[in-house]
Amino acid sequence: PADTRDAARVRSAPAPLTDVARLCVCDLLVAQCDVNCCCDPDCSAEDFSLFTACSVPVVTGDSQLCNQKAAVYSLDVEANPPERIFKLIDQVNPSIFCIHATNYKQALYLKSPEIPTPENFDQLLEKFGGASFRAEPDSWDLDTDAQNPSEANETSRYEFGVPVQTEDAFLRLPSPVVTSWCSDANPAGFLVNQATKCIRSVSVEKCDSIQALSMLFYINSSILASVFQVDITVQSIAVQSLDGMRTLLSSSDVLRLPMVLDDLCINAVLGVNYHITHTDTGEIIEAAAAFVLGAISKEALSIEQSFEISFTQANTQPVLLSGNPGYVVGLPVRAGFQPQGYPSPAAFLIAALALSSNKHSQLTILQSTSTQDCLAAQGARAPVLFGYNMISGCKLRITAAMKCQPLAQTLLDVLKGQSFPEYVASFGNSQAQDVLDWVPITQLHISEQMISHTLQSPCQIPVSLGIEVKWTKYGSLVNPQARIVNVTATVTTTTLKQPPSGRERIIPITSSVVFTDISSPAEPSYKAWPTINIKLPFDFFYPFV
Amino acid sequence: NNSSQLSSLPLQILLYVNGIYYIFYFLATLAMIIYKSQVFSYPDDLLAPDLAVLFLMGILEVPRLYLGFKGNLTEAEAPLGLSLGLTVGSVVLCVYLLLWQTYVLWADVLLNAVLLSTYGLESGLKVTAIAAFVS
Repeated sequence: PADTRDAARVRSAPAPLTDVARLCVCDLLVAQCDVNCCCDPDCSAEDFSLFTACSVPVVTGDSQLCNQKAAVYSLDVEANPPERIFKLIDQVNPSIFCIHATNYKQALYLKSPEIPTPENFDQLLEKFGGASFRAEPDSWDLDTDAQNPSEANETSRYEFGVPVQTEDAFLRLPSPVVTSWCSDANPAGFLVNQATKCIRSVSVEKCDSIQALSMLFYINSSILASVFQVDITVQSIAVQSLDGMRTLLSSSDVLRLPMVLDDLCINAVLGVNYHITHTDTGEIIEAAAAFVLGAISKEALSIEQSFEISFTQANTQPVLLSGNPGYVVGLPVRAGFQPQGYPSPAAFLIAALALSSNKHSQLTILQSTSTQDCLAAQGARAPVLFGYNMISGCKLRITAAMKCQPLAQTLLDVLKGQSFPEYVASFGNSQAQDVLDWVPITQLHISEQMISHTLQSPCQIPVSLGIEVKWTKYGSLVNPQARIVNVTATVTTTTLKQPPSGRERIIPITSSVVFTDISSPAEPSYKAWPTINIKLPFDFFYPFV
Repeated sequence: NNSSQLSSLPLQILLYVNGIYYIFYFLATLAMIIYKSQVFSYPDDLLAPDLAVLFLMGILEVPRLYLGFKGNLTEAEAPLGLSLGLTVGSVVLCVYLLLWQTYVLWADVLLNAVLLSTYGLESGLKVTAIAAFVS
């Protein structure tokens, strides 16, 4: 039926209504009587008796015509009840320049628009598809073909934040919106690494019909990229049992769809992890998804699904940048080492491996634990985040039996960590090869010397580590980038005072990180005054010179 | 005593009046076409034929009147006959402007009707004059 209706519509648009007796401008409400509209066909005689005046007294065609029919509506208020009078009269225009006849139909009536059909659609789109159009088709720009190739390149290349497009819509990353329930309308943005968790309502009986629980829902549409489409492959499948234990399946080729088994719904998707590989020009070349499938028990009315998407550049190791180029507040300060045996900083080329996404090569500080015992909480360290001043500490219980030197070494390990870095990246995206982009950490030792009358230097134990990071604003005034200029690690030591035997002393050990902004105020710069450059021609004083 | 004079006086008067009237007619019709193109929607592909017909009629009118004068005064039937032929062409163009113009105003109807009646009367007098000259 739809096809025949379309075919019938294609042939002609409805003819314009030109009979003045049937035209009514004030008839706005469909199947209802409009107030004071004397020409409304929906009004009955009782409605007319309630009107006060006629809003449209005369309905005519073009007033320039010499001789035409006019419909005149009026209310006879003298009668009881008032009634509407309708008269069809011949209206004469006495002007000598009235239109006696016309051979041009569109002069007096609006043109019926062309109905688009598959044949004339392209031509209509070309004529009327722009922001403005004229009556004559624009035949001057013949180089429309020259614009198309550049447009094709624009759509294939993704920019940061642009939703990743697939065949039907966008690559979906279900996420909670307002409430914790999953919404499937969240598109994944290019180069935006996201991780979301949301709750989905399920029922075990209908679990094979719920689309969002099946693997197909997440991999069936292919991503549009450059000239071809990138299919989403299944990277791995992990099956999670009811008690939370996950096993990685050896073969990830078979598509496992949810089905009801006993009272459980198995192969339901509990988590999807997308990995998209892209080139450095913004074209997506590969897409893979790692699934976590699980079982839903009969009593469960909702399950929590977690989704993650990460973007990696092809042929590179993923190195997490802390800013591009300036440090972003909240991202970890990147640090590195100079490898042993290479005294010159130029050997950083080989040390590139040491700066991969190894978390131990970050600048870290001691993390306070609930036990607050320095010797017990070994290894808990927190990364130093740019811009966040931190202070942490623990309490050291000194007994009489403790030896100073090993205690000092242990405390230094506790304060500085297993591998305290030697260099800190000056910018958030400093590469290992650029030696000059790395700032060495200056180590200072301050000892709280107690005035001692003994000549021998007593043993000192470190009690605090203070890292001061001086940073400056670098670059343009409207978009300043944070750049680390100086890092100083100050270890304060104090003399160990052994308590008498049987007693113990508790001294606090602290470590802190302070970020100081040492940016100099912006200097205004003015344009140079224009100079008048007058030079006489070379042979001005000819023949005397 | 007009027994030896075959030239038709009414025809001469009519031709003279026709010449004067035609100048007025041409200017008035041209002015009205300009008025119509400003006030109404007058696309270029409809304006061109109307103007062409008007100018063609103007071009035809000059030899037509000249031949009529000459033929009547010299009492020669050949020029009068040629003038009659050109009159037929002018009548056709006049009918076009009366009926098939894009916009026919009431003033257009009046002007063209007067011109048509003049042409008709002229043609009758020319035929009579030719008959008088030939015999």
